[in-house]
Amino acid sequence: MNRNMNPTPGTEPHAANAAATSARDWLDDLLDSDARDERSSYIADAGFTARVMHALPVPLTLPAWRKPAIVALWGVALAGISLALPSAFLDVVREGYRLIGAQPVSLSGMVGALVLAGTLSWTAAAYALRASE
Amino acid sequence: MAEPPVSDAQLIARALVADDRHAFAELVKRHQSSVRACLRKLTAGNHALADDLAQDTFVLAWRNLKSFRQEARFSTWLYRIATNCWLADARKRKEELLGDRTDAIADDEDATMPHIDAMHADHARASSLKMDLERAMAVLSDAERAAIVQCYHNDLTHEEAAYVLDCPVGTVKTHVLRGKQKLKLALAAWAPTET
Repeated sequence: MNRNMNPTPGTEPHAANAAATSARDWLDDLLDSDARDERSSYIADAGFTARVMHALPVPLTLPAWRKPAIVALWGVALAGISLALPSAFLDVVREGYRLIGAQPVSLSGMVGALVLAGTLSWTAAAYALRASE
Repeated sequence: MAEPPVSDAQLIARALVADDRHAFAELVKRHQSSVRACLRKLTAGNHALADDLAQDTFVLAWRNLKSFRQEARFSTWLYRIATNCWLADARKRKEELLGDRTDAIADDEDATMPHIDAMHADHARASSLKMDLERAMAVLSDAERAAIVQCYHNDLTHEEAAYVLDCPVGTVKTHVLRGKQKLKLALAAWAPTET
């Protein structure tokens, strides 16, 4: 919606509104004059913006200690498992290393995978933008 | 060289993407006067209530900024939120509000009448007319008053007023017409006499 909706370009919207519904009369003039008076008097901010900004909901920020605390908890948990079940822990680590180490990864394979991932992302982005237009 | 003024759309983008509260504060500064003036008109001159509703309007605008689709100007979108805030509040406290306002106007009249003298006759006439218009506006139904305020005071087209009031254009025209008929009856004493 924009100002081009005004059916009579070059006139005030309310004047065009009045013309569209009925002939203008003394009440139209009275309302116009009152509206002009009101519009010409700017209401000073006087702390209003500050009041609004103070009333905005507080942004959800995580406390600074949360991330290191989570990392430390995971570390403690892993250390606990490795101490409680040393043989099971060593088996998991050994099998994991064997699984990853058994996969031969060449440079050309990595580049190919990156190109494929990039192409897929750009195609998806282009499709999403086209769909939202 | 002076920097070009930042548009509303750019400020909205900053507020949305970077959660930039300074950008939103700039938007509030730009639009606070028109939103507060609109609400003062809707609340029939109750400045304190209008400012509280204006504050609610901007807080709601911040919360729903993501839903602003640029289908209307930002100011028109704010008028829409402001009108909804006023309608919700008016439903809650309608009877109380009308009673207080009538008393306040009666008190004002008693206080100002003795000070009118011939030198200030024009000014007094204008003030009196303004007061009568305000009182007549208070008599209109919520829908009629909102339609008149959007079309005259906020200078919107019928189509824009329909967007703000969330109703068909035909309904806006009907409300304006009915509102004007009531205003003419209430302000009959101010109508120019036929010669």
